[in-house]
Amino acid sequence: MQRRKFLSLSATAAAVASVLPASLSATDFRTTAPKAWEAPSSKEAIEALFGSAAMIDGQIEIKAPKLAENGGAVPIGIKSNLDLATVALFQDANPRSAVVVFELPENGVADLMTKIKMRKTANVTVVAKGRDGKLYSAVQKVEVSIGGCGG
Amino acid sequence: MKIKAKEKKGIVEVKILLDNPMIGKEESVLKKTEVDFLTHVTAKVNGKIVWEASTGPFLSKNPYFMFNFKGAKKGDEIVIETIDNKGKTESDKDAIK
Repeated sequence: MQRRKFLSLSATAAAVASVLPASLSATDFRTTAPKAWEAPSSKEAIEALFGSAAMIDGQIEIKAPKLAENGGAVPIGIKSNLDLATVALFQDANPRSAVVVFELPENGVADLMTKIKMRKTANVTVVAKGRDGKLYSAVQKVEVSIGGCGG
Repeated sequence: MKIKAKEKKGIVEVKILLDNPMIGKEESVLKKTEVDFLTHVTAKVNGKIVWEASTGPFLSKNPYFMFNFKGAKKGDEIVIETIDNKGKTESDKDAIK
């Protein structure tokens, strides 16, 4: 009985996997680095995505409010003069840390903005990989007065 | 979805507003709904990818993005494609002004 249950379970799992269409892009970080999206802390998520190499500070600017009134949509701007290939955004306010990973084309312009959910005051971390292969990072604390993410 | 793309001195500034509740595991339990969020967003001009993002449920509801890129002119068409956690895709386009 148990074996039959197991077999039927694995059959449905296989069916679900096969109906998923091919990814839109060549590098989908949700499939290439699934661990990074499950990590609860920024430190673990960054290690899963970029490894534990040394990071250079001070080359990336985070534009975020010091005090965010609405934690449901906290604007986060990322700006840099470097030629960046990958830019990832992490925070420590939610159950899991990774929020979004941007990819920029060659000779791109590193000037990005998005809005994120934060359910409490926490640090926002940006880690970027330059086309020179080096890692760059920046951290900023954002205070949240009313939390987002469903309370 | 809403797309606004403007070219100025060789740099195109794009602003997009997507329609998605961005509900993750914890929120789906609280709100008693299904997990529903975008997993990937791609921007293409003339068939070339100019920006892309792997996304998660901690982006705000109806995610907003601003980004910049070089190498397109006024009148070129920008195409935004999204895919969600169930594999549903959506696409929209707009001319660069």
